[in-house]
Amino acid sequence: MKYFQPQSVEEALELAYTSEATFLAGGTDLVLHMRTGKVQPLGLIDLGKISVLREIKEIEGSLEIGSMATFAELGKSELVFRKAHALWQACQTMGSPQIRNQATIGGNLGNCSPAADGLPALLALGAEVCLSTKAGNEILPLESLLSRTPLLEQGTLIRGFRIPINGQKSGFAKLGRRKALAIARLSVAVSVEMNGSRIDNVRVALGAVGRRAFLSEALGQELSGQELNNELLEKGVLEVQRIVREALGTRASAPYKRVAVAGVFREALATIIPEGGK
Amino acid sequence: MIEIKLVVNEKPYNLNVEPSERLIDALRNRLGLLGTKEGCGEGECGACTIIMDGKTVNSCLVLAAQANGSVLTTIEGVGNRRSPHPVQKAFVEVGAVQCGFCTPGMVLSAKNLLDKNSHPSESEIGVAMSGNLCRCTGYDKILRAVKIAAEEGKQ
Repeated sequence: MKYFQPQSVEEALELAYTSEATFLAGGTDLVLHMRTGKVQPLGLIDLGKISVLREIKEIEGSLEIGSMATFAELGKSELVFRKAHALWQACQTMGSPQIRNQATIGGNLGNCSPAADGLPALLALGAEVCLSTKAGNEILPLESLLSRTPLLEQGTLIRGFRIPINGQKSGFAKLGRRKALAIARLSVAVSVEMNGSRIDNVRVALGAVGRRAFLSEALGQELSGQELNNELLEKGVLEVQRIVREALGTRASAPYKRVAVAGVFREALATIIPEGGK
Repeated sequence: MIEIKLVVNEKPYNLNVEPSERLIDALRNRLGLLGTKEGCGEGECGACTIIMDGKTVNSCLVLAAQANGSVLTTIEGVGNRRSPHPVQKAFVEVGAVQCGFCTPGMVLSAKNLLDKNSHPSESEIGVAMSGNLCRCTGYDKILRAVKIAAEEGKQ
């Protein structure tokens, strides 16, 4: 197996084009999968030395996050705390301190576990993904990318994410078997725009309910443009339970998750409306 | 094989490693630093914790090649029998060690916390130690030892 450590994005894309090698981000999933034989790459292109991919910055009304930003970096970023709160929350509970120091947000998407902690938050926040190949760049909504199979073609690099900054409020909650090191059994991220007591542009995303994290456009539309009160909250709870029931069908975890999602949904909303988190 | 440069416990090394070789294997098998332990081998237990460029990582989930150019601290670089690190001293005083297998990782997580934050709160200690599992002590003595080490650092 070959191992490359490029210093620039251009070099990485050229290597991917010529070598059929796999991109390596933090490695906390890939190193494990290589060891168990689940993944057998022909070569590795380690993105760890490309500093431009680690940047977290605000540009022209957007929060731009490089794919190699670690969960620890995102979880300590003041900018992420203020402008992408759901993502900041997801970064606090993902894995353990050791894993957060190594694992990256781009790797979270590349590996695309059903329980990936970063993805529901990015979906709710309306993140776009920036992809690059040797042929050029593509920017598309994360939910569009997540509907593709395979997720990424050979040689496609996840460059980063772009989250619109429009005063949205967001929250994330996850259910795990314990606090630290727990793989999410269920996660919910919500983002809303507050207009007085009315909420607009509501986006609700779920994780660990099915093959990949997904955005429920129906639920978002249902809740948008309405007064935020207890009645609406209860309507949301019923609706999110219905979505989980439909998504999980007869799976063994379904009876548990469709009940549990009510609490996780309320908790995700707790940062947006503190009194709703009871 | 690929050539990498590392600084481990303040000593520079040039190593030839396999592309798929994990950092823990390079440390143990090539450098003979057997203080770093492998517990679960999948990032759950934290026994293999080392400090890489000022951050704790699980050395079972990092490839040796990824560490190229990095500065590492393993348990061999933290105190010794004659002059133990305050964390090590507190672990011994409180009895935070039973079988000892998790101890190197525990000490490194605690040391790294105190290097960054000399006045940690109880919850900050809890978070910093949350990636290290111990099957013997029940954590109470370990958390108490970290607290004592922090208080000693203040004096």
